[in-house]
Amino acid sequence: MASKTAAAKDIITLHGSAAIVSEFFCYAANSILYNRAVYPEESFVKVKKYGLPMLLIEDESVKSFMSNLTSQISEWLEAGKLQRVVLVIMSKATGEVLERWNFRIETDTEVVEKGVPREKSDKEIMREIQAIMRQVASSVTYLPCLDETCVFDVLAYTDTDVAVPFTWVDSDPKLIANPQMVKLHGFDTKIHKVDTLVSYKNDEWDEEE
Amino acid sequence: MILRSPPPKRLKSDAGGSPISANASGSGNQLVIYEDSPLPAPAPLQTSNDQSDQHLCTYQCRQMVKADVLDAFSKAEKQVQEYQTQLQTLNANFSEADAERKQLRDNLLYSKQELAAAKGREKMLQEQLLTEINNSQERYTKELQSCHELEVKLQNEMNLRKKAESSAATAEEKAKLLEDKLTQLSGSVDREKKRLNNDIAQLGKEAKLSVSRIGADLERMQCRAQNAETESNLLRSQLEHLKLKFDECLQEKTEVDKKLSSFTSQTASSSDNSVLIKHLQEEVKSYEAEVREARKLKSRHVDAELLKVKLLEENSRRERAESELSKMHELQLSMEMLNNELSSWKSLLNDIPGVSCPDDIVMKVSTLQNEVVQSSMKIEEANTRFKQLEVALEATQLGRQSAETEAALAKEKSEALKTDVKRIEVMLSLVTEEKEQLKAVVNELRKSTSEGSVPGAGATDGTLIQEFESSLAKKENYLKDLENDLSQLKDVNNRLRSEIELLNEKLVDEARRNKSLERDSDRLRSEISLLESKLGHGDYSAANTRVLRMVNTLGVENEAKQTIEALQAELQKAKERLQAVEELKNQSGDAGKLVDSHITGKIAQLKEQIATLEKREERYKTVFADRISVFRRACCELFGYKIVMDEHQRPNGIPVTRFTLQSIYAQNDDEKLEFEYESGNTSILNNGYASQGEIAKQIEIFIRKFNSIPAFTANLTMESFNRRTLY
Repeated sequence: MASKTAAAKDIITLHGSAAIVSEFFCYAANSILYNRAVYPEESFVKVKKYGLPMLLIEDESVKSFMSNLTSQISEWLEAGKLQRVVLVIMSKATGEVLERWNFRIETDTEVVEKGVPREKSDKEIMREIQAIMRQVASSVTYLPCLDETCVFDVLAYTDTDVAVPFTWVDSDPKLIANPQMVKLHGFDTKIHKVDTLVSYKNDEWDEEE
Repeated sequence: MILRSPPPKRLKSDAGGSPISANASGSGNQLVIYEDSPLPAPAPLQTSNDQSDQHLCTYQCRQMVKADVLDAFSKAEKQVQEYQTQLQTLNANFSEADAERKQLRDNLLYSKQELAAAKGREKMLQEQLLTEINNSQERYTKELQSCHELEVKLQNEMNLRKKAESSAATAEEKAKLLEDKLTQLSGSVDREKKRLNNDIAQLGKEAKLSVSRIGADLERMQCRAQNAETESNLLRSQLEHLKLKFDECLQEKTEVDKKLSSFTSQTASSSDNSVLIKHLQEEVKSYEAEVREARKLKSRHVDAELLKVKLLEENSRRERAESELSKMHELQLSMEMLNNELSSWKSLLNDIPGVSCPDDIVMKVSTLQNEVVQSSMKIEEANTRFKQLEVALEATQLGRQSAETEAALAKEKSEALKTDVKRIEVMLSLVTEEKEQLKAVVNELRKSTSEGSVPGAGATDGTLIQEFESSLAKKENYLKDLENDLSQLKDVNNRLRSEIELLNEKLVDEARRNKSLERDSDRLRSEISLLESKLGHGDYSAANTRVLRMVNTLGVENEAKQTIEALQAELQKAKERLQAVEELKNQSGDAGKLVDSHITGKIAQLKEQIATLEKREERYKTVFADRISVFRRACCELFGYKIVMDEHQRPNGIPVTRFTLQSIYAQNDDEKLEFEYESGNTSILNNGYASQGEIAKQIEIFIRKFNSIPAFTANLTMESFNRRTLY
């Protein structure tokens, strides 16, 4: 057991950690869109990632949106300005917010200021991300059914002194009144620590109960 | 040999004789044995005379001497026998003493062996004790260090607690001040509310009064309006009547003027004329008076109309006032609702400490969030410290247990040593007693041999006794050293015990503090869970956080797409119509000339636009191609690699961009590196060149380990440059 615990550790830089987190968000968002049926199943294609079969959407518009989003998120992560990323699922007809997938990010300021690397095994990180992806997939069992057509949007909680590109504007936080919350696993690259939480609108059946 | 004549008595020290004397113990009379001396040297004459005299009495003397000698011999024999018996007894005693000596020697040797064994054991025990003492000292120093560290931590925590208490006190003071301010503000708010209520009541009353006044005015004005209407009607009728009269008068006046003119032409009597003129003047005056009355009536009519307008205005004002009255009721209801809400919010504000007005709520929430973040950080720090303290506690407890066991072992060993020492002391006492007995025996033997003639053995006994005494002295010294060591060990043990007791007390205190910390950590964990739930809800502080979303959202893109598709559909329809029109134009010539000219004009314009757009596109393409070639050449010259970009598709359908790099210092065309770029991530592909030994090593080091492709390419460039230039 001592030899297993003393596994080889990989050096992780700020740039690498930002890439890991932004890539995780891309795959997590795709997984959420598939599991919550925001887009039809046939729009997704299966790929292998994190040792699991992951689903990526093939719609070019969504793909370009995601690529622009992940590149901006990566930039903000390297600057240490990103606090949270929230994927919001709303009703297309009424605009009501039905679910909020909250990814809270804590950044090691020493790494951002001094640029020192950290050490952690890539396998360990992948294992942690794998656990989160499994939880996202299993969230179908307790989240209420989305019977109506839904759309999604992504909000970024940043520091007030961040440089905002012209493709981003200020927004309201799109909160849910009296939500139910479920905390999921998180992962830690020793530079960025990501915690996941899903809050959803109380189902009418649950309210009646 | 018996001399015939007794020679003069000689001293033993004479050279002529060799008297042998022997010391015999137990005899008081000394026996002198005379022997013929060897032929002396020719004596002088005097001695010869003496000898002759001597020979005369030698026989008697000899007989006397013989008797004496015989007596002495018998005595001597008796003495010899006695001495022999004494000697035998002494020999027996000596043998006994020898046996005892041997026994004692054996005992001594045994005791020496035991002493040596005890010494060895003592040495071992000393060494063990020393090692244990060293270990315990080390542990003690470590425990001291840990205690110092714990003390330092305790002090830090005390300082933190003091700081927290001071900050809590300041916060309480601030809260009190803010509460005072809040009470003052609430009082002022109440006063203002009362004032506002009073104002509202007054306004209501005034409004009611004004409404009643307006109603009364309205009624008055209505009455006036009615009166004015009736008057105006009357006046109108009078006016019409007067108008008719005025017209009649005018007609009469014209007739009269005509008559006057006819009269003036004729020469008639002046008196009749003057009468007529007077009469006419009076009629004119009356008509003028009537005209004036008519004008007055007209002015009154105008006034009536003005009054009507005023009446209408007043009616409208009345309606507005009534509507405002109704609105005022609604406003009063809304005021009451707002007052209720205000009171509820105030009660909420009163419940929230440190908040005096609604604007403070945001700040308060932000400060609370900051405090939550700080408290969570402090909690994490406290948790880490708690864990460290737990670890230190466990270590100190283990050390304490080990120290206790070692102290118990040391106690047992010291007790064993004490028993050994006691046993050795007992043995020593026995040995000293035996030594004294032996000494006494030896002294007796010495005395006996000094009286008798026992040679030899006493000296060896003395040396043995001296050796024994020296060894005993050494043993005593060893024992003293052992006792000193024991006393020191006892002191050390006592000190260790006292230190262990102190450590135990400290451990108990630390355990109490740990429990209090555990309680605090549980409370903070519950608070953290509450705050995390709030954070998970999405709450944030506007002072620190900004919420952003992308403008180019999918909805906008979809809308743009839809508009683009609609425009494209319209464009196709327009094209189809254009084709149909051209066909029609080809088929019929004259009929659609006008329409064709218009359409052809448009078509020509569109074609010109298309031509210009195509030219622009080609120009852009050429410019782009030029620029991109310049960029590629510059990249090649600056970084030393020719870069070729391709678009590929993976088997799973995901498009990726592939870059092929060839160094300008490459020695052959096979030295190419292939990289794959996908969504911001670049990865190197394995090929023949990358799988070579040195290259693979560099890939392992720079890319896999340090995750830096520029470092790898730079290193490769330097190596190939060195190969090209130096080798």
